[in-house]
Amino acid sequence: MATWNKHVAIGKPVGVGKGIGKGMKTAFLDNPRALAVLEDMQFPEIEWFVDNMFDRMIECGISEQNGAGVAAALAAEGFVPVINNFLFAGMSRAYNQIRQSILVDRFNVKFIAREGVWGEVGVSHATVEGWGSLRVLPNLVMINPADSVEAEKASVAMMQYVGPAVIKQEMSPDPVSIFTEDYPFNIGKAYSLRDGKDATIIATGYMVTEAVKAVDLLEKEGLDVGVLNMSTLKPLDEEAVIAAAERTGAIVTAENSSDINGLGDAVACCLCENLPTPLIKVGVEDEFGQSGLITDEKDELMEHFALSAADVAVSVKECIAKKERLLKQGLQRGGS
Amino acid sequence: MAHDDALIKELEAKAKVLANDCLDQFCTFSQGHVGGTMSVLEIITSLYFHHLKFDPKDPDWPERDRVIMSKAHCCEAIYAALVELGMYPKETLGTYYCYGSPFQGHADRWCTPGIDFSGGSLGQGLSFAAGLALSEKLKLKLYPPSREDTFLPRYIVRYNPTFRTYCIMGDGEMNEGQVWEAAMFATKFKLDNLIGIVDYNKWSLDGPTNDIMPIEPLVDKWKAFGWTVYEINGHEFRQILDTLDMVAYQYGDNKPKVIIAHTIKGRGVSNWEALHMHLGRGEEMMKGVREGRAKYGDME
Repeated sequence: MATWNKHVAIGKPVGVGKGIGKGMKTAFLDNPRALAVLEDMQFPEIEWFVDNMFDRMIECGISEQNGAGVAAALAAEGFVPVINNFLFAGMSRAYNQIRQSILVDRFNVKFIAREGVWGEVGVSHATVEGWGSLRVLPNLVMINPADSVEAEKASVAMMQYVGPAVIKQEMSPDPVSIFTEDYPFNIGKAYSLRDGKDATIIATGYMVTEAVKAVDLLEKEGLDVGVLNMSTLKPLDEEAVIAAAERTGAIVTAENSSDINGLGDAVACCLCENLPTPLIKVGVEDEFGQSGLITDEKDELMEHFALSAADVAVSVKECIAKKERLLKQGLQRGGS
Repeated sequence: MAHDDALIKELEAKAKVLANDCLDQFCTFSQGHVGGTMSVLEIITSLYFHHLKFDPKDPDWPERDRVIMSKAHCCEAIYAALVELGMYPKETLGTYYCYGSPFQGHADRWCTPGIDFSGGSLGQGLSFAAGLALSEKLKLKLYPPSREDTFLPRYIVRYNPTFRTYCIMGDGEMNEGQVWEAAMFATKFKLDNLIGIVDYNKWSLDGPTNDIMPIEPLVDKWKAFGWTVYEINGHEFRQILDTLDMVAYQYGDNKPKVIIAHTIKGRGVSNWEALHMHLGRGEEMMKGVREGRAKYGDME
């Protein structure tokens, strides 16, 4: 079995939603100015909030654009509003409202956004393109936690951070629990689960679980592969990316969303500018989501989108082959 | 409630100065949203020079009345008011549209102290205004003043909110769905500290508002959404002031209010009124500016 760095103990699957709910509870008890802005889409730990925080819940109904504007104003007056919704509704639908009313003035509004290909609910809700579309927006911090422990810590950190931020609650099978309770989460810092020698998988969100499984598959073939958990997409931890590239010389990125403008592109840009390295992106390839059957025995969506540990492992081997080819040739392009 | 003639005369004179200041801004690049700016001048003058609780020396005063310029392309009128209130030197008018100027092309809260809302993307102002109005109520609910602070029982009737929120919208903006989302929201949360003002100048960029996408019957629409509606002539100071006072006096009835102000686009300048120019540019615009100068004085 693979060995892991400090603060990592692979365990049973637990939903990320639980962690976010716990983190929100803590944050609301800590900060009396935190407000829940609802858009008819419940809230994590809704029963607890109804019992304990009823005065601090603002129900806007199914009007996401208005909800974003109202949240901006509440933040302007010193409150810390949290909007919880599917990403396509709460953020994509209100994209310009978020840009103009919230981000331009850096109002302290927080978002919990649900997105991912394992939607089951079909193409409208199982969006894959929203996360990437947010990356171009200035002033927005984007966090995608890998397991429920990190989700809890990330929610608390997000609520303490002053400025607009979004945490992604992925629609996926439950990720395995990865971190121990003393794991130190910092916004903008990646955490290396395992350093490796032959290649590094830079994964985010649920795909960290698949990366962890892929490491075991590859170990059987004698490959020592590292895993870097990139929970903050923006600002990207460029130091960690460059360090991983220096160490292993082959990078595979894995994300449960469109591979356009997501983690893969961010890492690729960072490496192209600083330390060109063979890289393969694992993600959804320019396609919409859809419904599918997900059971323990069979996962039709994983098959369709090729996001399983086996798929990641194939990409890792391909990437290592690329690296070796380049090493053999030496880098001979341009000039003479 | 009656306003004496001296005040009306004073405001009329102020409006002329503001009009002249706006012409200054249009001259910088021979650009600007002249029609909507000239139609909303009297409303801005009434607010900033008589009605508002606003301290030019402390634009971040927590108890100031908020003005949300939802039709932020007409922010020239507010810039002019801020200059006349002494917040910015007169020369700033000449930097309108310029790089690094506090007078950006569209209102920007981040660069211009005195502006409460970064607008420009139409339809968003009323949501923001409703949010401000809600937070006024929420603050009092979540953090009620202690008895020691006030010597009054907590449940005493409040005759005035800590601050009021005014949202100035255009008529073309009524086409935006978000306006009506916010209208529902304001009624639900009983935002009687929120006052919408519609600058109904009948013209949009492409033509007559009611041809492009009819917004009539506008009064019935607002009434159906649960708002109290007032209809006035938006160029008559006496009507504007009386209505603003009346609206303030109605505080406590749990209903948001909207004032539909009938105005004339490009008012005061004949070729702007005739052409209904929204985006006057170049020589055609300067012809209007020259006429405006002659009318509002200062033709040096």
